[in-house]
Amino acid sequence: MFSTALLVSRWLFIALLIVPVGAGIVAVLLPALSYFPAIGEHHFSLAAFSRLMQVDSIVHMAMLSLFTGLMATFIATVGTLSILAISYHTAMLGWVQRLLSPVLVIPHAAAAIALGFILSPAGWPARLVSPELSGWIAPPVVSLLHDELGLSVTIALAIKALPFMLLMALSVLAQPHLADRLQKQVCVARTMGYTPATAFLSVVWPVLYPLIRLPVLAVLAFATANVEIPLILGPGSPPTLAVAVLQWFNNVDIFMRLQASAAACLHIGVTGLAIIIWLLIEKGAAALFHRRRCTGARNFASWWLSVIAYFTLGTLILLMLCMLISLVTWSFATYWPFPDTFPLGITLIHWQTSLTALSQPALNALLIALPVSVIAVGLSLLVLEQEQISHRATVSPGLKKEAVLFLPLLVPGVAFLFGLTWFSQFIGAGVWLPVLVSHFVYVLPYVFLSLAVAYRRFDIRYTYVGYGLGASPYDVFWKVKLPQLFAPIMVALALGIAISFSQYLPTLLPGAGTIATVTTESVAVSAGGSRRLSAVYTLVQMIMPLIGFALAWWLPLRFFNPAAWSD
Amino acid sequence: MIKRINTLILLISWAVTAHAQTINFHAWGGSPQVNRYLQWVNTQTEAEFGITVNHVKLADTSDAVSRVLAEKAAGNHDRGSVDLIWINGENFAAMKRHGLLHQNWVSSLTNFALTNPDKNRNMTMDFGIPTDGQEAPWGKAAMVFYYNARYLDVPPKNAAELLSFSQQHPGRFAYPLPTDYLGISFLKYLALTLPDIPHERLYAPVDAHSLRRVTMPLFEYLDALHPTLWHEGKFFARQASRLQRLFDDNALFVSFSFTAAEIPAAVSRFDLPTSTRTYAMADGSLSNVHFIGIPYNSGHKDAARKVVNFLLSPRAQARKKQRQVWGDDTVLDVSLLSDAQSRLFAGEQAHPAALPVNGHNQLLAEPHASWTDALREAWFTRYGDHL
Repeated sequence: MFSTALLVSRWLFIALLIVPVGAGIVAVLLPALSYFPAIGEHHFSLAAFSRLMQVDSIVHMAMLSLFTGLMATFIATVGTLSILAISYHTAMLGWVQRLLSPVLVIPHAAAAIALGFILSPAGWPARLVSPELSGWIAPPVVSLLHDELGLSVTIALAIKALPFMLLMALSVLAQPHLADRLQKQVCVARTMGYTPATAFLSVVWPVLYPLIRLPVLAVLAFATANVEIPLILGPGSPPTLAVAVLQWFNNVDIFMRLQASAAACLHIGVTGLAIIIWLLIEKGAAALFHRRRCTGARNFASWWLSVIAYFTLGTLILLMLCMLISLVTWSFATYWPFPDTFPLGITLIHWQTSLTALSQPALNALLIALPVSVIAVGLSLLVLEQEQISHRATVSPGLKKEAVLFLPLLVPGVAFLFGLTWFSQFIGAGVWLPVLVSHFVYVLPYVFLSLAVAYRRFDIRYTYVGYGLGASPYDVFWKVKLPQLFAPIMVALALGIAISFSQYLPTLLPGAGTIATVTTESVAVSAGGSRRLSAVYTLVQMIMPLIGFALAWWLPLRFFNPAAWSD
Repeated sequence: MIKRINTLILLISWAVTAHAQTINFHAWGGSPQVNRYLQWVNTQTEAEFGITVNHVKLADTSDAVSRVLAEKAAGNHDRGSVDLIWINGENFAAMKRHGLLHQNWVSSLTNFALTNPDKNRNMTMDFGIPTDGQEAPWGKAAMVFYYNARYLDVPPKNAAELLSFSQQHPGRFAYPLPTDYLGISFLKYLALTLPDIPHERLYAPVDAHSLRRVTMPLFEYLDALHPTLWHEGKFFARQASRLQRLFDDNALFVSFSFTAAEIPAAVSRFDLPTSTRTYAMADGSLSNVHFIGIPYNSGHKDAARKVVNFLLSPRAQARKKQRQVWGDDTVLDVSLLSDAQSRLFAGEQAHPAALPVNGHNQLLAEPHASWTDALREAWFTRYGDHL
């Protein structure tokens, strides 16, 4: 019975990732090829694509998506490399990890809105230097927002990508067999006189990078196709391709959907191209680096790595501090004329207004996040258990599953989510089910990866003891493993909830806009008239996932903890 | 036994009707006042009729129009996701053209008679297009401008002065993309007030010749204005509400709105500076009526009708008119109301940031609905893709 459940779960796991994405792609491909019977288009043709190619700025849009995605991934990768290089095996690493973990769960939309707050000409940094230093009595006319190169978009994407990559790298480095080997190799390099940073670059990075390549590519794919960040911070003429797809889909002229579908398909190509370019850059960098590494210079790149690391960390901390202070200040501000550093007074009115208005969206967010995360955690546990029992890939999941896992992260959301929405409208699936499925597709990979780390670390000898005492596989799973894995399970659950909370497009599209969550409301309000309300919404958006993690930290202290029982 | 079955049947029918009593009201959600007003409406309809009004907050009303259109295309003719929709102008024109609206229901509303439709033609005309009982009037609005008295002593009073103001203070004025309601309204205001434009042509359906006659002077003006705009006219706000925030940032010195009452309300909420002053342009203010429609495929038409009738009641209209609530002008003919009812509409205290009483110099009726698309398309052709 238990083994059947395990086997079924494995197939369910793969099906639940492939089917929605696959159905979405097929459903977006048909209208892209002008097959849309509902509006009287019965013949396949390339008309939509040729219309798309007639859009003057289409190349510009694609280039903008490529540029922002590649730059953000590059910054995040170099940042990860340099920070790890200077902090590997030092006390600083734990400190960096604690600092960046909360950034990981900040929704993309919230990060973009917060960055918009400080980059705005009337933002807090500009107020600090006005009017004394700058002479500004009104905000400067030049603005860093909506710049035509998408630099502010790049910064926001990089802020979100860096913690993700860093934590992925740390989870790989935490694998016991790998950590052991690498530590010994670094020791050898150090005794040969290599500086710590150079030793990391020469010994650890070449082993580490291939293991985090998939997450890096996922970051890249995500960065090229993200909608909410360029929607909030990006340029408008033209915008990035993903934003254009969204706007065309929402166009009142339903025939624009054909063009939007074609653009969504084009986006798969653009994201694919970004991945190819990245792999080429990777090859070039590896070749270049290999030659330099063999020169034997003991402090090669050491100085640069620490400069970049401290610059990245410094900028990140400064930005986060500025964002937080300015969000909190705005959320309590009364009148706040421009060059003043602080508002004229403080009030609770914005919090009062928002908290009433946000109760339903918060409830909706929970109604989506909880079932999705619980199912994702349960399914991931069953799949991991199945692997461990069948002795397949006891240490790390096989490459095939890993690739399946990254499927929803590699295929641009704007492509398959539109297809999925169309498909679910076609079969009359309502709004909740498609939203739950879309969230699930995004939540499952993160939950699985997070749990897999814990499963890798689990001391298998406990299960042997269990079997030795005559327990069934089910009992071992239920009574031995799960209680001991309670803390990582709670963390995975919290992560799942946080990921679900932060989803914008997977809520908006399949939900037909009828299901408001804190994130969709926050994006809507960010375009609204009140900076103060937007500050409150953004803060709530940041706080909600943190509550989940606080619970995940606190609950294991209460349950399955011998110290708690002795009270 | 029979009694029990009866109770059961009652319970089931109650559950079924209770289930049918949630109305999805798709309405623009960018204004906190409107949102709060609709929350109040929900409490009233829940108490009075047991109908829950779920406000689906739209960033852009055309989203809901395309949703109904997509539902029709997908063959969903009786369980649509939109039960009520707040529309006017081109969105109404589009829905009427595609047969997306429930027909002949407005005259059966008891409160509709209070709008005095026989006398007030604009209760049954939406941007020059007859409503034909497919939508009920809800409120009235006219365009107002506002300026920051901290930076400006005298605001620009007509289109020509606006241009010279913007040239003197580059980057301190902005208008939203013409895909936004306020953006296209700004273009219409210019088209209706700039000299050298045959204004009467705007009230007839558009044709190529009149479009050229109108857009030539219009674009000449905009060509001069754009380089002086916020972001040098290279980035346009997608939504009107963004202007209010930019004004609050002190980034803009002059801005405009279609809801005069929103401005003092925003000042009271700290969302606009105390030095904000509202005024109307000397060369005229664009004005119109906004409506509520029921999509043809709504599964809750009866409940939706009840809600609309409530929205037209003196009580709901008077509350909507209060400046602290929303400040939207009533569509009811107050002379038809009883004394008790018309007392609900009695005046309020003046607010320094509010438009003075009788502040409008001249009300300009909306051009024929066909001009909206034509002007917008011409704008995008001239100034490129902005998305």
